[in-house]
Amino acid sequence: MIEVQHLTKRYGPFTAVDDVSFRVQKGEILGFLGPNGAGKTTTMRVLTGYMPATDGTATVAGFDVFANPVEAKRRIGYLPETPPLYPDMTVREYLTFVAKLKLPKTVSKSERTERIDSAMRKTHVDDMANRHCSRLSKGYKQRVGLAQALLHDPEVLILDEPTAGLDPKQIIETRDLIRGLAGNHTIVLSTHILPEVSQTCNRVVIINKGRVVAVDTPDNLTRQLKGSATLYVQVDASGADAAAALATVPGVRGVSPFDRDDQDGHLGFEITAETDRDVRRDVARVIVDKGWGLLELRPLRMSLEDIFLQLTTDESAKAEETPDAPEASAAVDATNGEVPNA
Amino acid sequence: MRNVLTIAGKELRSYFTSPVGWVVMGFFALLFGYFFFAHLDFFVRRSMQSAMGGGPVNVNQDMIRGVFSNATIIILFLMPMITMRTYAEEKRSGTIELLLTSPVTDIEIVLGKFFGAVGFFVALMGVTMLDMSLVFIFGNPEVMPVLTAYLGLLLMGGAFISLGLFVSSTTKNQVVAGAATFVVLLLLWVISWVGSSFGPNTAAVLSYLSITEHFDDFSKGVIDTKHALYYLSVTAFGLFLTVKSVDTERWRG
Ligand SMILES: Nc1ncnc2c1ncn2[C@@H]1O[C@H](COP(=O)(O)OP(=O)(O)OP(=O)(O)O)[C@@H](O)[C@H]1O
Ligand SMILES: [Mg+2]
Repeated sequence: MIEVQHLTKRYGPFTAVDDVSFRVQKGEILGFLGPNGAGKTTTMRVLTGYMPATDGTATVAGFDVFANPVEAKRRIGYLPETPPLYPDMTVREYLTFVAKLKLPKTVSKSERTERIDSAMRKTHVDDMANRHCSRLSKGYKQRVGLAQALLHDPEVLILDEPTAGLDPKQIIETRDLIRGLAGNHTIVLSTHILPEVSQTCNRVVIINKGRVVAVDTPDNLTRQLKGSATLYVQVDASGADAAAALATVPGVRGVSPFDRDDQDGHLGFEITAETDRDVRRDVARVIVDKGWGLLELRPLRMSLEDIFLQLTTDESAKAEETPDAPEASAAVDATNGEVPNA
Repeated sequence: MRNVLTIAGKELRSYFTSPVGWVVMGFFALLFGYFFFAHLDFFVRRSMQSAMGGGPVNVNQDMIRGVFSNATIIILFLMPMITMRTYAEEKRSGTIELLLTSPVTDIEIVLGKFFGAVGFFVALMGVTMLDMSLVFIFGNPEVMPVLTAYLGLLLMGGAFISLGLFVSSTTKNQVVAGAATFVVLLLLWVISWVGSSFGPNTAAVLSYLSITEHFDDFSKGVIDTKHALYYLSVTAFGLFLTVKSVDTERWRG
């Protein structure tokens, strides 16, 4: 439904999007993830035909957005980062204007009104129908922007941070709305809220500094990137040799201090083990043999946040360059959440 | 075509829902009314002198022409306020993103904005007709020169609007757009003044380029295609520049 190939966008000498390729199947929800300035908005603007790419192609619903922009745009609903509202129009006037622009000319006036009402109901802005757009709160502006995108029931929805500025109840409703739209619609959305991605999206594209660093399902990302199993263990050991003792356990690849509580001498460690080996029994045995107290022992799961940070921070970029890093450096530095690469 | 009308309607509407439109209309009515009555007063006194033995007077020649000539100056000053928002404001507020991602072409958007502004300009002309009707109620002027003068104003207005549209499309700042439009229009206005110092050929070219040189005949009641063509080609050129500029801005993002 959407196919992006080798897309590059430069602003003058600055490359905002660098050789990005991905495809989105019909009915799928694709999440666009990346830190500020990663190039999400730029990519979406190219997809919606707002600006041409410097290089590469983008096809939406079978139409090349550069060669056949009007046909492509007919099939796209777009919520820009800033909802494009005219301050001196009421919500209904605004949606009527958008409907006139976007609906096929064959649509009758009464059907147009019906579509407008339905879009307002879906986004819960019907109670504000006669309010001027300039008087709307930020969340309502966002919702009217969403109504505008849904109005002509487009095959493809491109939503730039659709839940930004909404209250928690609305966030849930909007996510439900988006999930409900999938199937009939193909959706690309960008967000900074990571749980949102795992809740709404079938697939994630993580982009950093204009480059795609990962494309996968949220589950696969979590699994793959874990690479090695990590454990958290907290011991009551007075001596400082706990780390060394733990490192001797077969299968353990690294031990690093996680936290410490000096008052009662509790030490927390993060242990990295070989992926397909359960070292928990051996770790427990060593601790008990030494006569220390075993206070806690649990596997550490990597959240999407960790993955995101790992993929998009500089430290991980270095790790990527040297994938065969020696084991010694594979120890986890828990302070910045870095986890060794698989 | 429907898209052009939709956008033109939205533009026209925005003049009447924003203070700028009303301010322009108010100033225009005020200034035009002032010049109108100044000319009227002058004309009445001259007619009295003429009745007491001066030369003959003609309301078309001695009054209405002067009023229209002054009207062009008011338009020169107010036109930047009409066109400055067109693109600049949409770019600043981000609504341009809606227009440029809707299934309409750049040309349709430019034409929509153009005709919206022309619509507002026609409304301004409507205001002047109120004053003008007084002359017809209390006097007996020829209709033809008045009609041709209005046609001339409309053609000139179209040329101004297309240039203003172009300037507005190059910036996000409406004040900059307004000021720059004023400078452009003023230069076109006075371009013939320096003509004589460049020799006859250059003088002829500069005089041809001057916006005012082409209006005179219209206010005399003469429709010369040469002049109409001048205004129409300036309009077309302005619109062409606007389309190009919108496209360039697209690339820049
Ligand atoms: N019109 C422009 N001219 C020059 N540089 C731009 C322009 N628009 C964006 N950029 C730059 O391109 C890069 C990508 O911007 P973009 O808006 O796509 O990021 P983003 O991923 O949407 O970020 P955010 O999460 O903050 O919305 C940024 O470094 C930004 O400064
Ligand atoms: Mg963005």
